[in-house]
Amino acid sequence: MMPDPSMSAWEPEIRPRQTVWQRLDHGARRLLPSIFIALIIVFFSAPLNIPGAAELLPAIVIATIFFWSFWRPTGMSGVAVFLLGLFMDLVGFTPLGVSAFILLLVHGVAFYSRFGLMRLNFLLVWGVFALVAAGACLLQWGLACLFRLAVLDIAPALFEALLTIGVYPPLSALFSWVLNKLDEKEDP
Amino acid sequence: MIPVSIQMRQALGKLVLPLLVLLSIGIIIAGQADRKLADKARMTVADGLAPLWGLMASAQHRVQAINTNLREAGRMASENARLQTENENLRRWYDVAVSLTRENDALKTALHWIPEPTPAFVTGRVVADSGGIYARAVLLVAGTDSGVHVGNVALAANGLAGRVTETGARSARILLITDIASRLPVMLDASHATAIMGGDNTPLPRLMYYAQDTRPIEGERVVTSDQAGAFPAGLPIGTVHYLHPGQPVVVPFAQLDHLSLLRVFDFGQALIDPPDAPGHVPLAHPRKTLTLPLKTLLGQG
Repeated sequence: MMPDPSMSAWEPEIRPRQTVWQRLDHGARRLLPSIFIALIIVFFSAPLNIPGAAELLPAIVIATIFFWSFWRPTGMSGVAVFLLGLFMDLVGFTPLGVSAFILLLVHGVAFYSRFGLMRLNFLLVWGVFALVAAGACLLQWGLACLFRLAVLDIAPALFEALLTIGVYPPLSALFSWVLNKLDEKEDP
Repeated sequence: MIPVSIQMRQALGKLVLPLLVLLSIGIIIAGQADRKLADKARMTVADGLAPLWGLMASAQHRVQAINTNLREAGRMASENARLQTENENLRRWYDVAVSLTRENDALKTALHWIPEPTPAFVTGRVVADSGGIYARAVLLVAGTDSGVHVGNVALAANGLAGRVTETGARSARILLITDIASRLPVMLDASHATAIMGGDNTPLPRLMYYAQDTRPIEGERVVTSDQAGAFPAGLPIGTVHYLHPGQPVVVPFAQLDHLSLLRVFDFGQALIDPPDAPGHVPLAHPRKTLTLPLKTLLGQG
């Protein structure tokens, strides 16, 4: 039998067609990290007087994006990272596009080195993440200095970097648990 | 779906990230170039999120309120326990007080005790005194029409304020105890020793002429004495305080620098006239000596 010349032949037809419910389910799974980050952004920008909220928000966002970018890139696409960064800029008081830029860089590093990272054990991954986080915070500080045309105090940036590094293990544990749950559901 | 080959799609997928990075850099530059537009976009987003934030803030407030309520409830429980024990204690004291009152009444009856007359008083508003011969005196909106007489005692909320020196039909001037013209016989509450409290136009009148063997003690209560017949005994004035060693002053209970209301009591001291005693050389009536110079002064002026 001749292969069907229509364009649908290019679609992978290994799986059967998904029902609406399955599609919704998959969509929700893909969007889960992005929704989590969006909610975190909204939560931390609300006037709740949480101590260190200004530093905690980028810390959580960077850690989350790093984790999902190398473990499950389908759940954290570049477009989503870009939109989330832009949203963070719009809600916060950073210059427009700065967070998007930094988060995209973090995402890129995690995404392109994911095959190498997956082979490492947790402590080494954490070390790599520490370097990435420090780089991201320093980059943010450098950009802020550039926009103000003055050398700003580096202490907040260092604090943010430390917070980012410190917040990674608990978030990583949480997301690992979530991933396990999702995978269990996927293949029972 | 746009019909593209897998290779093409993979290539495009690889291009997405650099493109997005470039786009974000473009946004950074655009945001720096047109700050108004960036601020407008920010405000639009903030406006959209405002209800959500309001909801979260109110939820937080409610949680905090519940938290404080719970803490308050815990505190109230301990407070309640404390009050109950105190109440038991007070009930015991109440019984003691009732039995003591009964005993007191019984003793008074047995002694044929003559009860003291309850003093009549009027309350008036204090208006600032601008004129007059005294430096520390106030004008009260209550005069002879309301039964205020020269020599009556003016009390503030919690202590002696002064005495009436001049009266009009609807006003009375009250010489405060801090005035330099004020000299009052007082009694030190702990030792029952007498002294003279003399004003010196400062807020703290001095104590003078106390007995050298019973010196005023710091913090001791000072009350009026009935020595000259001008005051009934036992009206609270203030407490003793030493500004310097050997210079005791009285800190008045009444806040004399901002009086608003004064009660003027007529204790009826003038009615107590000692009966004439044959052979007794009559001294000048103590009350009259106090008021006489004033009256002559007024008569002359």
